[in-house]
Amino acid sequence: MNRSLALLLGLAAIVVIAVLPVWIGPFYTRVAQLFFFSAALAIAWNILGGFSGYWSFGHTVFIGMGAFAAAHFVTQIGPIGSGPFSMVLPILFAGLLCGLFALVIAYPILRLRGIYFAIAMLGVGQVIGELVNNIRWFQGGVGVFLAAPAPGGMPPEDFFYYIFAALLVACLIISVVVRNSRFGYALLAVREDEDTAMMLGVATERYKILAFVLSATLVGILGAVYGYSVGYFTTYTVFRLDFSLNMIVFCLIGGIGTLFGPVIGTAVMLFLTQVLLSRFLDIHLLITGALVVAIILLVPGGILGALKQKFAGRAAVRKSVEA
Amino acid sequence: MNEIILSGRGVVKHFAGLTATDNVDFDIPAGSIYGLIGPNGAGKSTLFNLITGYYDLTGGEIRFKGTSLAGIPTYRRNQMGIARAFQISKPFPALTVRENIRVGAIFGRPEKVDHEKVVDEALAITGIADIADRTAEGLTVGTLRKLEIARAIATRPSLLLADEPCAGLNPTETQEMVNCLRNVRGKGITVWLVEHDMKAVTSICDRILVIDAGRKIAEGTPAEVVSNPNVITAYLGAPIEEPAA
Amino acid sequence: MLFLQTTLNGLVLGGIYSLAAVGFSLVFGVLGIVNLTHGIFVVAGAYAAMVLYAKLGMDPLLAMLPIGALLFAVGYAYQRTVIQWAISRASLVASLVVTFGVAMIGRNLLQLVFGPDTHTITPSYSFSSLTFGPLQIDVVRLVALGASLVLLVLLALILLKTHFGRAIRATAQQPLAAQLSGLNVRNLHGLTFGLGAALAGTSGAIIGIVQPFSAASEVAWTLNAFIVVVLGGIGSPAGALVGGLLLGLINAYTAQYIGPSLTQAAMFLVLVVMLMVRPNGLLGNAFGESR
Repeated sequence: MNRSLALLLGLAAIVVIAVLPVWIGPFYTRVAQLFFFSAALAIAWNILGGFSGYWSFGHTVFIGMGAFAAAHFVTQIGPIGSGPFSMVLPILFAGLLCGLFALVIAYPILRLRGIYFAIAMLGVGQVIGELVNNIRWFQGGVGVFLAAPAPGGMPPEDFFYYIFAALLVACLIISVVVRNSRFGYALLAVREDEDTAMMLGVATERYKILAFVLSATLVGILGAVYGYSVGYFTTYTVFRLDFSLNMIVFCLIGGIGTLFGPVIGTAVMLFLTQVLLSRFLDIHLLITGALVVAIILLVPGGILGALKQKFAGRAAVRKSVEA
Repeated sequence: MNEIILSGRGVVKHFAGLTATDNVDFDIPAGSIYGLIGPNGAGKSTLFNLITGYYDLTGGEIRFKGTSLAGIPTYRRNQMGIARAFQISKPFPALTVRENIRVGAIFGRPEKVDHEKVVDEALAITGIADIADRTAEGLTVGTLRKLEIARAIATRPSLLLADEPCAGLNPTETQEMVNCLRNVRGKGITVWLVEHDMKAVTSICDRILVIDAGRKIAEGTPAEVVSNPNVITAYLGAPIEEPAA
Repeated sequence: MLFLQTTLNGLVLGGIYSLAAVGFSLVFGVLGIVNLTHGIFVVAGAYAAMVLYAKLGMDPLLAMLPIGALLFAVGYAYQRTVIQWAISRASLVASLVVTFGVAMIGRNLLQLVFGPDTHTITPSYSFSSLTFGPLQIDVVRLVALGASLVLLVLLALILLKTHFGRAIRATAQQPLAAQLSGLNVRNLHGLTFGLGAALAGTSGAIIGIVQPFSAASEVAWTLNAFIVVVLGGIGSPAGALVGGLLLGLINAYTAQYIGPSLTQAAMFLVLVVMLMVRPNGLLGNAFGESR
């Protein structure tokens, strides 16, 4: 694809996204908002889990931390700036705090590999969640308010629709830049074989930590915005096992470690669960579980992996015919 | 030959009571192909792991170009110029051959170079340019070994530690590997080679170090080593055939 | 005295944790699979015991036999189909995700059948307790502990003394060599998994009389099993016992001296610290090989 075509497509996408809420009404605007939020989360998870192969089963810790950080920033320091701009500092603070926290735990926890890292992160998520819930100062049990400062006249669902859309685009751009950089190559080498990567001059430790901190910061920012979008939340609104698991499942379904897989996987899963099957709320879990099993058994590389394979297969056939 | 690129003095490594490397000295002259042989479990791979920093020394010292390697992490040692090709090939399976080598080119010795040129050169030296765009998964053992060498030399080392590159190869592939290692040396890279194939070792090595049970038992030219009585008893347990004259 | 009572409570709880975890540990050690469906087996065992008690008046301790048999069959079939397919088509890591997916299905099904509320089983001896001087212990808990220990010892004997047990251990250490020496590794894996599921189910029957349970508590039981394995080491009944007792003590002390709402946090804190300090557990991997 050449550059100007990509630019044109990008512009077209922006226009469509901009006018969409007018057409689809509040319900589907909310679904779209959920899609942007979830896809951005999946992309952020993918930078660590997909590129470097460190599957975190506890990424919800950064959503929760981000949301509570923003809320306490507002109550302790007060909103700075007016209207929507009062969100900027609390959100940045949330991202920074999550990044810092990730940096602190990174060195010990990234020494664990595979399943052990996954479960340790699950543990980190549980511990922090319990602490927020049980230490009175955090007010996780009773809940905190985080008023949504939508500009006058705009319905909140439209406002957060646009914000999450912008965040999704930002995460996507960051992910593309990372993937095509020296940093991205280092993460791939770590994923494929960490010991060999070291032997080839890759400072594995440093790059792993960097990916972890970047992923945590992005999720923290998303968590803070999520906090604003719900307005009032307790521990269990934001420290949620299913957040952690969705990030993995969406990536898995779309194609883990690919650039657009997380977005495609999120779109497919949300379309199935929120739109097609929205009336079968009591079997959501069953459907999700069945889809996960089916994907692993039928298309282990996810949707993008399967497409790529099909494409590669055709190319190979063409080659052999020509030869 | 000329100056010493890598030297060890009193190198010792203990593993929970077991002495894997016992007071070994070595001096590897720059520009040579040096051999390291010994029976299974003699501590050859351990020695390589000590040089690359995968294990820490229990005692002694290893110097590379006069600098002590103590406390230097593995990746830094590679950037200083020590590369290693593993006995059990460890390619990045999901990446293509070219991408595999590119990792070495990008992260090896830090200097301004055209990475693609480095990759092409490594492909040429090892003779695998024709399969550059295939994924590493499913390549034959012989090809994987060459990829292993190619990726290692793409880091632009001055010393290559090659761990049994000929193990499990047929005679044709072994000959190709020997030629490949000669090409590597031709690029000015010192090669330290662990190998069981005596024919391959004696045909390309300038000098050979022999260890047994972690100890150095002989050192010298191939002819000296194969006629050394210590080597014959410890390494082979029985008299060996005369090396091809 | 409070300390002694707390310790006693912790040990009793720990015995149950041990039994609930040993099947997970066995599957992890022999097949290398982290089975996230494990908690479902535990909770399903508890529900089965509840149904058998309510409909047939069968005592949960007696119900352990049919429940064990049923879950053995389920576990065997599950391993030979879904899990085997996942490993052969994708990877060992994929099996982690597959078992997670099946856990979600199982949890949803249990919720559909039994509702989201918590349940308990209350046999006649539920409310009696024994007193030893100043110490007091509920009969159900004592019974639960006794049953757990008996089952753990039985398992240890099976692994040590029987042909089946030796075959399992051989398969865990050297799958290829075991296959070459004529063992049907696939079948053994299925049997091991079945055994793991059966142990989980029987532990569920015991848990049912001691603690409230619901479909949603499956996550906690899977995680508990993981913590036990990390504390005690992979694959052995002794490791499960050590890990389980430790976990029980941690739980009891935290509830008593720090606050009952922080037990989860304390358990996970120990897990995370333990993973960092000794990734192979206190007793190491029972099968010697690291995976």
